[in-house]
Amino acid sequence: MVNVLVRSLDIVLPLLVAFSIAAIVLLTIGENPVEILTLMATEAFGNVRRFAATLSASTPLLFTAVATAICFRSGVFNVGVDGAFVLGGLAAIFIAFKLPASLGAGLIPLAFIAAAVTGGFWLWLPGVLLAKYEADEVVSTLMLNFIAAGISGYLVNGPLLSPQSGNNVTPLIHETAELERLMPPSTLHAGFIIGLLCIIAYWIWCRNTPSGFEGAVVGQNPRFARAVGISVPAIIILVMVFSGVIAGFGGASHGLGQMHRFSDGFSPGYGFTGMAVALLARNHPIGILFGAVLFGALASAGTTIQLFSNIPLDLVNIIQGTVMIFAVIEAARLMKNRRRQTHAV
Amino acid sequence: MRALPSPAGLQAVGLRKIYGSVVANRNMSIATQAGSIHAVVGENGAGKSTLMRLLQGVERPDGGEIFVDGVRVDFTNPGDALRHGIGMVHQEFMIAPDLSLLENLVLGEEPVKRSWGPLSWIDWPTARTQGQALADQIGALIDWDQRAANAPVHILQFVEIIRLLRRGCRTLILDEPTAVLAPVQVDELFALLRNLRTQGTALLFISHKIGEVMALADEVTVIRQGETVFHSSVAECTADEISRHIVNGELHHVANDEAPQPQSELLSIASLNARSVNRSHTLHNISLTIGSGEILGIAGVAGNGQNELVECLVGLRPSSGLVTLNGIALSALNPSQRRRHGIAYISADRRHEGLSMQASIETNVVAGSHRTSPISHGGWLNRAAMRKIAKDRLQALDVKYDRPSDPVSTLSGGNQQKLVFAREIATSPQVLIASQPTRGVDLNGIAAIHQLIRDFRDGGGAVLLISEELDELIALSTRVAVIADGTIVGTVKAPASNLPLIGRMMLQGAAA
Amino acid sequence: MQFEHLIASAIMLTTPILLAAMGGLINRRAGIVNIGLEAKMLAGAFVAVIVSSATGSWIIASLAAALAGAAIGWLFSLSITRAGANMIVAGLGLNILVAGVLGFILSWVYRSSGTLRLPDVALLPKILPSGLEFVPLVGPALAMLDPLTLLAWMTTGALPFVLASTRIGLWIRATGNASEMARSVGLQHLTIQDFTTACAGFFSGLAGAHLALVSLGLFNEGLTSGRGFIALAAFYFGRDRPITTAFACMLFGALEAAQIRLQLEGLPPKLIGTLPYVMVLIALVVVSIQAQRKSST
Repeated sequence: MVNVLVRSLDIVLPLLVAFSIAAIVLLTIGENPVEILTLMATEAFGNVRRFAATLSASTPLLFTAVATAICFRSGVFNVGVDGAFVLGGLAAIFIAFKLPASLGAGLIPLAFIAAAVTGGFWLWLPGVLLAKYEADEVVSTLMLNFIAAGISGYLVNGPLLSPQSGNNVTPLIHETAELERLMPPSTLHAGFIIGLLCIIAYWIWCRNTPSGFEGAVVGQNPRFARAVGISVPAIIILVMVFSGVIAGFGGASHGLGQMHRFSDGFSPGYGFTGMAVALLARNHPIGILFGAVLFGALASAGTTIQLFSNIPLDLVNIIQGTVMIFAVIEAARLMKNRRRQTHAV
Repeated sequence: MRALPSPAGLQAVGLRKIYGSVVANRNMSIATQAGSIHAVVGENGAGKSTLMRLLQGVERPDGGEIFVDGVRVDFTNPGDALRHGIGMVHQEFMIAPDLSLLENLVLGEEPVKRSWGPLSWIDWPTARTQGQALADQIGALIDWDQRAANAPVHILQFVEIIRLLRRGCRTLILDEPTAVLAPVQVDELFALLRNLRTQGTALLFISHKIGEVMALADEVTVIRQGETVFHSSVAECTADEISRHIVNGELHHVANDEAPQPQSELLSIASLNARSVNRSHTLHNISLTIGSGEILGIAGVAGNGQNELVECLVGLRPSSGLVTLNGIALSALNPSQRRRHGIAYISADRRHEGLSMQASIETNVVAGSHRTSPISHGGWLNRAAMRKIAKDRLQALDVKYDRPSDPVSTLSGGNQQKLVFAREIATSPQVLIASQPTRGVDLNGIAAIHQLIRDFRDGGGAVLLISEELDELIALSTRVAVIADGTIVGTVKAPASNLPLIGRMMLQGAAA
Repeated sequence: MQFEHLIASAIMLTTPILLAAMGGLINRRAGIVNIGLEAKMLAGAFVAVIVSSATGSWIIASLAAALAGAAIGWLFSLSITRAGANMIVAGLGLNILVAGVLGFILSWVYRSSGTLRLPDVALLPKILPSGLEFVPLVGPALAMLDPLTLLAWMTTGALPFVLASTRIGLWIRATGNASEMARSVGLQHLTIQDFTTACAGFFSGLAGAHLALVSLGLFNEGLTSGRGFIALAAFYFGRDRPITTAFACMLFGALEAAQIRLQLEGLPPKLIGTLPYVMVLIALVVVSIQAQRKSST
């Protein structure tokens, strides 16, 4: 019983602190926080059209949060989901405008496969470096994010630059490759469904596969895992590749469903918001769904609030940053179990 | 140049220390004298480390008194002891590997010319002169600019000793200082300790090795079960006499039951060697065989390669040589493959390796079997089957638990260990490698675990039993092999009637 | 002549990276990897522009920027050392939080999105007398030399001695290397870590002041554009040693200065921009393999 209380406190506390800070900020600028937060809630969930906008904004986060959670759950500190998302998106978009339009809807699976392969390979690299050489995955994945941004920036300014429009964009994808809009005129698209499927697949993997079981065991205590015959390096590489594949799917969904072309700023930090969601959800699938919708709501309501009441959209970033910091303050207890035999002198 | 500390004496009378309901020290008396080396010997768990903690001020005694130079003192922390000139050289050196030896020497008490608080410039020439003067006096050759990580172990020990002398210590407590040293380094350490003695330092030397005591010490005190049971000048007693006092009277409830005669040979280890990784012990030329229906005990003072041997057999540590089970070579196999061939493993480190403390009871009792039927079926994990298997296994060994989803840390020590056995025995292995199986387990739990080991043997299994509890080894083992310094120094049949021999081999090595 | 201007702009572009890298290096020496340098740079730039405009003094502005960075760094450190937060996630969170706070103030107080232009912003002065432009090779660089650049290089020069020979330097190294041991000899290892994180904030704040006040005199949300992470890459690549780290910073500064030139040569600037990160990745792999070899002998 006490356990349940402590665990729910873990989840509620970061949100409570974040919204308190937001309330204080609103008070300082002379706004009524209750009024504004209620307004935001109405803007995010008030009617079907607004709810659709919220779900649309949460779609990329479903993928990036799952991709992060897969690794965190196994004690692998992967912060490189953003890079895999960007490169996966670019690969999907490339397929979707480069291959002949005559392939029709067949372009969509091809694009998703390309994204999965790209994302999976991208995170396979730091996975191998960690598993074989114990190279710190935090540094390697952080660096790979910047490298991914550089590569995609180069491609959309050079080889893949659209001949019609200015700079920094690829051509538009074939219309047949676009993911279907679920509730026009809202931008909510079929990618949301794919995101839900990813959450379900993640859940099934965690609960109902031997490797999912092994991932949890490795995350809880790698030495124990090794002693009962689980190959820790294999699990590290596996979760990294899974993470890359899911992140790649996310990029493909965002590219084919939302953007329809690749441009600079394809991901305004979806990987990091996804990390906040995963931390808040303690890697639990249901938590991830709610967390992603919550942050999606903040993003979509934030935009409208900025338009109508002059309250800067940056309020959303304040909330997100606070959630991240306070989520790890509580998570610190869990992370301490991450034991490594590196550099023990 | 600083003069060496003047003669001093540390004296403890009738120390008593109780932890909860456990009496760690009941009556400990010991006295050091300036210019004398006093050895303290005793088995693991005899109460040596508690005594050290009391003398060093880490803990306060529940009874008895401590005197320094005849004046009664009351230490509340290690700083107090240090101020009274009592310093401790730990087994795990307090050394920062990336700093130079000189930097390690002065850290925390840096000499400065002009004090600007933390921004003061350290007076390195003075530091060097101080260190060198002390090193010269005790006869240590030290390259002060060497990075600590590159320095040999005994040099680090010397630096630690010099650090204590520099801080004005006149009594040094050395906790098994030779445990981590090579023989040549031991000689150097002993020469240095003799110099210290000549110059009037009082030394308290804790050891397991009688040979060292005889070679070095002036006086010896034996500790057994929280009491000082024997004290003598080394010149007036023999090694055998000391050995007898260490092991004697230990065997209260021990009688080796009539074990069935071992059948065929099951596990064979031939010239196993292992290199040192991250300061682990090396193993050389270990050859052993265990038959079906046999329990082979491994006796030895802690830290002589027992853990490394176990890890090599389970596949957690690389080694050369040939290990076969039923004639099948295991040497190239990983832990998972070895398990499939019938190796089961009870880890000595239950809290970090034997169990995953945060994980559920269910996870802990099925881990390792999760890829075999019926838990794994067609690539899927069958949660219902998993729950049932867990329940069956826990029930079979009568593990007391509340809910299978509770963290395993909620169980008592005895139940935790029974859970480990439940997991390991459930797969019907042929060989059980049990390392310290009753460590941290209460009396009832010990009886149950001993019965489990006997049952396993009676079912035709082979057991390798590693234990620091001699009476446990003698009660269970068909034969006892003694490990010292990373190699097997001998094997004893009928261990119950050869106890003194085992004790001598453990403490004095192969020379016995 | 062209080449001389390249040197001048390389030196100018190196300064903020160098300042932040020195701060981050001190921090890492004490055992904290500071992912939040970017946030403190941005805050420093913001404060510098406001204070410079209000007081007309580049000195007060730079000092205010440094103190703002130090204050943020100290609070950030408390979350790690006292509340046990994971330093990586907390650092990433800090970057988002600070960017959010600054953006919020920018649009609410100054009614501007993204850019802050204020009147009478005092820029960093040139410290050498004019007329040096014609010195061969380094003429333009000397003519453009500003006080923070000088400070950055003086810090770089002094840091090895401070680390090697002052008590605080020794304490920092001992804390990062063996915190248990530092504690056992009576050092307050958590306080030492907090101090170094505040230092990292101090120097990152100065770095921000340099970015804002060296020539533009305005604040922009994208002003730092990842330089905090370049600084991180520099001290990772320089293995926490001041001189090698300074070389890495110079290399990265020169790359930035040369980007336009290289672009004309047909080399894609975006790819060149990833070079620092690729170098760190390679260095990381090399170091890990070496460490693994060493532990098994």
